This record gives sequence, structure tokens and C-alpha cells, in this order.
Amino acid sequence: MDRRIYYITKEKLRELKKEYEELLDFERRKTIGEEAPKIFESEDINPEFISFREDIDFLRSRIDELKNILENYELIKNPPKEKRGVVDIGAKVKIDIDGQKDEFMIVGTLEANPALGKISNESPVGRALLGRRVGERIVVSSPIHTIYKIKSIKYEIG
Amino acid sequence: MEKLLKFFIETGKLKDMPRRGWVLRNIKNPESIADHTFRVALLGWILGKKNGLKVEKVIKMALIHDLCEVYAGDTTPYDSILPKSKKAIEKLMRTWPRFSKKEKKRLAEKKFKKEKKALDKLAKNLPDELSREVKNLWMDYEGGLTREGRFFKQADRLENFLQALEYWKKYKKSPQKPWWDQARELFDDPVILEFVSMMDKEFHRKKKPNS
Repeated sequence: MDRRIYYITKEKLRELKKEYEELLDFERRKTIGEEAPKIFESEDINPEFISFREDIDFLRSRIDELKNILENYELIKNPPKEKRGVVDIGAKVKIDIDGQKDEFMIVGTLEANPALGKISNESPVGRALLGRRVGERIVVSSPIHTIYKIKSIKYEIG
Repeated sequence: MEKLLKFFIETGKLKDMPRRGWVLRNIKNPESIADHTFRVALLGWILGKKNGLKVEKVIKMALIHDLCEVYAGDTTPYDSILPKSKKAIEKLMRTWPRFSKKEKKRLAEKKFKKEKKALDKLAKNLPDELSREVKNLWMDYEGGLTREGRFFKQADRLENFLQALEYWKKYKKSPQKPWWDQARELFDDPVILEFVSMMDKEFHRKKKPNS
């Protein structure tokens, strides 16, 4: 099992803890032959859609995954006021990319979802933005030239 | 057996469905969805092994990840903003499309719902246990629920990127910029990032791309 540190938001931690407890309870009920709770039939885009009813291997691997994360996480917090002008994990960054506007939130790999603007701190753009300030230009030119200009930085972690 | 036969006939349609991104770029005889599936299964297996992942799961994920496209069709990030004229489309395809936060969420949800419905319809032809396995693997890929799911999401884009560079080399016209802009935001797996550096070296030995 991977032993890396997972950077996660408080909201994500709450979600993962809840899922972990529910899955353990689900597994326990299954072992003693009790009916599983109905929440696992949900239709949303979340892990609860997963039909764990028969797929025990999948249930086990998700429980192991959650256990590993809960043992190796570090909470993403708002930095102290004097450091809020610098991009760190958890920052929402408004950016100009070769004249096109975009907005990223820098997150850990677990929450990364570029289709929703959540960029991993370990991706090339995530790494290039970390430590930068408003007004800075970051030029990436290998092999194609792209200029990223930081327009604003905000921290809104609950 | 009748339902299983239907499942294979339906999935076989992916062999004749061209990948939409290449159609929009006017690539001659573009690869099919099944062509992409073939190589991403190999990529997932071999790079997944390098990453210490459960390769059987990654390969299965590769085999099923685009099955929903039998009914949902192939979509690209450009579809919702596609202009009418050929020239304007060509211009659009030179950049990676950017959307507001709200629009990103709307597009992702719309795509998810459409594809999930399509997969449900197709999986009805499978015995219950297999149907569940297929849907669980797809949810893992979509939601990045396990290391395999998160890795494969990137491997899927990597195969597409490799194909883009191959077309660039073959036709000398397909712009590379959207792929590099996307790659720098999407990839964070060390094995995949190393592979991308290798692709850069290999394809640009003689000629550097200018767009």
C-alpha cells in the first residue's frame, strides 16, 4: 500500500471518515447476514452509487484505500494572514493563460479534478504556481510556449 | 446467452465509431473508440505494473471505460462551444477550452448523467454480478475512488496525447498546444510524467512544434 501523505480539505476528511465508518458497518452487517442500508443505491456522482452488495473485493479495496488515507493525511488549512498573498495548497487562483481566463484551486492528488478546476499540487502547473504571487508571470516553454499570469489569490477553506 | 450476444454486438459498434476529437480536427481515417481502448489497456497494464497497481483491475477498467459511448457517443470538451464555420472550428481546436467554474460543473454533471444512463442500458445485457462489476469499475474511473481509478484516468488521457503526437508527426498540421496545456494541469502521476518527457524527446528529435 502507498505510504504517501495525502493533503485533503476538512470537508473531504469529513466525507471520507463518514464513508469509512459506513463501509465498515456495511461489511460487519454482511458478515453476520444482516440487510445492508439503502444509501448504497444512490444515483449521485459519489462513491455511494457503488453497488457493494455483492462486490466484496471492491468493498475491501475501498475500505483499505480509506484506511490508508485516514492514517496518512495532512489537513489543508488557510495560511496565516501574512502568507495569503502567496499560492499554497488550498489557494483559489484566478489566472490568465495566454489571454484566456481560468480559475484553479490547488488541491492534493486525491481531490484533483481538472475538469472542475481542481489542480493537483503535484502536477506541472500546480508545482509552477506554488510560492508565486499576484502579478507574477510563469512561462513554460518546453516544448510549447504558454504564459500563466496570476490575477488573484484567495483562501476560503472552511 | 441471447443477452450476452446482444452485449457483444452492441460493444462491437465501438470498432466503427471514430473518436470525435479527430473528426473535429479533420484527421483522415481517424482511430476508432475500440482502437483507443486497445492501446490504453496495454498502457494501463504496463505502466500500472510499474506503479505497483492491481493490473487486472486496471486492464478491466480500460476495457470498459468507454463502453457507455455505444449509446452516449463520444464527447469532447469543445462540443458545447463549437462554432458553425470550418475555419472557426479550426481556430478553436488550436487552444484548450476554458470555462467558468459554474460551467465546468454543469458540463461535468451533464456528461456523467448521460454516460451513466448509457452504461446502465448496456450493462442490462450482462448477468447481475458482471453488470455490477462493470458499473463499479466505471465509477472508480470516473470518481477516482482507488489508486487504480486515479491512475487510469490519467492513462486514458495519456493514450490520447500519444495519438495526438503521432497524428502531428504524420500529418504535420495538428496543433500540439491544447495537449500540452491540458497535460500540465492533468498529470501528476510520476510514471506518467516521466512517460510524457520521453514522448517529448522522441517526437521532437528533429522538429520542434510551433503551435
